[in-house]
Amino acid sequence: MRRILTPSSFLTSTLLSAGFLLALLFVWWWNSRAPTPIVLTPTLTGKPEYCLTCHADLPEISASHPVETFGCVTCHGGERLVLDKDLAHSSMRGGANPSDLSVVEASCGGSNCHSGSEADDRHHIQRVTTSIQATYAGAIANIRFTFGAQTDLSPHYGIHAVSDDKTQTGIQSLLAFDPFSESNPNIQKFGEECLTCHINATPREGDAYARQTGCAACHTPLRLPSNSENLGGVSRRDEGGGVHALTTAIPYTQCNTCHNRGNYNLRTMTFDERTDHSTIRLYDYYQPIAQFTKCEYTLDCIDCHTRSEAMGDGDIHADQKSIEYVQCKTCHGTPTELPLTKTLTDPNDLAFRLAFLNPVIDLKLGDTILVTEKGEPLWNIRVLPDGTYEMYGKATRQYFTFRPVMGSGCTQTGEDQSSSYCHECHAVER
Amino acid sequence: MRPSFFHHLHPPAIPAAQARWRHTLGAGGTAVFLMLLLGVTGILEMFYYVPNPEEAALSVQTLTYHVPFGGFIRNLHYWSAQLLLIVSAVHLLRVIFTAAYKYPRRFNYLLGLGLFVLAVMLDFTGYILRWDQGICWPLTTGTNLIKTIPLIGGFLFRLAVGGGDACQTALTRFYTWHIFALTLPVVVLGVWHAFRVRRDGGIATPPARLFLDRTRIPRDELVRREAAAMFIVGILLILLSVFFPAPIAPAMIDKPSLNAETRAPWFFLWVQQMLKWGDPFIFGVLIPLGILTLLALIPYIFPQPADSDIGRWFPKSNRLAQVVVTVIAIFVIILTLINT
Repeated sequence: MRRILTPSSFLTSTLLSAGFLLALLFVWWWNSRAPTPIVLTPTLTGKPEYCLTCHADLPEISASHPVETFGCVTCHGGERLVLDKDLAHSSMRGGANPSDLSVVEASCGGSNCHSGSEADDRHHIQRVTTSIQATYAGAIANIRFTFGAQTDLSPHYGIHAVSDDKTQTGIQSLLAFDPFSESNPNIQKFGEECLTCHINATPREGDAYARQTGCAACHTPLRLPSNSENLGGVSRRDEGGGVHALTTAIPYTQCNTCHNRGNYNLRTMTFDERTDHSTIRLYDYYQPIAQFTKCEYTLDCIDCHTRSEAMGDGDIHADQKSIEYVQCKTCHGTPTELPLTKTLTDPNDLAFRLAFLNPVIDLKLGDTILVTEKGEPLWNIRVLPDGTYEMYGKATRQYFTFRPVMGSGCTQTGEDQSSSYCHECHAVER
Repeated sequence: MRPSFFHHLHPPAIPAAQARWRHTLGAGGTAVFLMLLLGVTGILEMFYYVPNPEEAALSVQTLTYHVPFGGFIRNLHYWSAQLLLIVSAVHLLRVIFTAAYKYPRRFNYLLGLGLFVLAVMLDFTGYILRWDQGICWPLTTGTNLIKTIPLIGGFLFRLAVGGGDACQTALTRFYTWHIFALTLPVVVLGVWHAFRVRRDGGIATPPARLFLDRTRIPRDELVRREAAAMFIVGILLILLSVFFPAPIAPAMIDKPSLNAETRAPWFFLWVQQMLKWGDPFIFGVLIPLGILTLLALIPYIFPQPADSDIGRWFPKSNRLAQVVVTVIAIFVIILTLINT
């Protein structure tokens, strides 16, 4: 009964065995192509993550968020163990931008992080989400009032619904604005064309408007000003079009991605983009009839405007006017009054924290700095022994000294202190 | 040379006609090979799999991406399981279309049908063990179907899932079902099935008085052919595993999400399609069970095939069974395609 293998069946067996062995070798070779995993176990979570396998060359996002402490997943989400790009990225919060307001609480929040208590000045997320930069409440109320959808200018709507239980402004909540439920076509068109400036909006197309959303709209500068060689800690946009950086040294060019980019045309309800591309700072302002003093086109926006003006103060406001309050006199005083000052005696003073985050000045205990009318520290301006002031540019580290108005030849009355009065004498003609 | 253990698992010689590929399609033998492969790869997976809700998906990720060849082993396990369902269905169709289920083989036909049902349940429980964002909808929908059964639905649901919200509690149950409670019956029924093949006279052929081809092949030739088939299936599995990785989804965050994946696993797509038509008990339970019952009854209530037709493709004497099974197969395939 026993049969000897025929030549053809021997050949088949050999070929199949060889094929199977080849297939196994192929698996071995295929597996060996995978990159060597790079593990990081951040001290904050104690859980290993493998993001650095591909992202090892990414610069650290900021000195306050060292990767050894935070890792990547704490902020970005994602599948920390997965080495397949699509799956690893599939559960990331906010795509490449975890600070988008839709996910910011999960990414940046938490009582130990940026949704801490108001007493500690750590309620950043609450401040931003109620701020007019995020709600756009003033513009919406104005447009609705103009086209008859409401009888006064009080705000009822924001870009997103928001509430404030401990309101100081009397505005407890805003409903989410839905332009498509409006009957007036102009308001509808406003909704379609003009909602590109609040910080969670996808910006208009074009390099001039390029910015992220959420916190990163301001804190992740994509563009650098022409004097960027003075800039510390702000990294340039990488080849992929993104930036892995967070900074409080925000150059004016970042503000300009929304501000100074053109004007809204209320008749056509469209945005008229500016067409000039000035490289001279003075002409970078897009207000044809406006006047500017030297500090307005030399300093950066954040050198004068405070954190509560830019990020909100935790209350819902009706318009820009009710949150913006810094004037020339805040730093320079009036002919009869010196600017307000504060001598730093508490090592936990907010001024030290802010100077630590953006170390342009070596503040010490006993230093006297300027403060605003609302008590916010102007921590980059220090009183010198001779009664003049020194100032360090927050974004540029430029050094300036300046004098108070008091004792100068200025004859302006103490009551008339808005910028237009100062521009009468101090403006530079364009 | 004395026959080895593996040779002894086979009869000393079998009729050459029975050993031809076109006679059996090799489906039963391939199914055995796939089951063995599933056992081996499954044990390897168990070295790393952690059956608790917090870590299950992460352990699958670890297995897939960090254990040397872990992803490949997992893919092999996945593709062996999918192929097993296809091969088992082909085996069932072959048995019907060649009238091989006739007495004395009709009891073994039932054993085979039972194995097929167990294979489907193993595939489903294995799918659930991923415990990632992709499993919650199929798990909830699938197990809620059990609840719709009158009188005993609640009891069966607790038996299958362990009570509560399936997405929170079912993991331990499904792990036990998959590793022991379904696998052990497969082993028992599988061995019984193979034993009955030999007890019932090997692969179905007409009785000796009607079957004149006396050519036989020795068992070493049979083993050689089986090895050749295993190599072919093995190469196919390797290629599938390398180029088409097994599905995996992000781990569940906080609470299970029902929105992540709303499609049933492919072998239940036809049931999912029927669920769109109306009452879940009728379309999700009664009709599938009815089809299963009909299949089980074929050797008992359908017209018996003629002895001379046993082992012949598409004989006239069991035409009714062929038509019924073809209609069922086309029905299932069309519903699956509609829902793809």
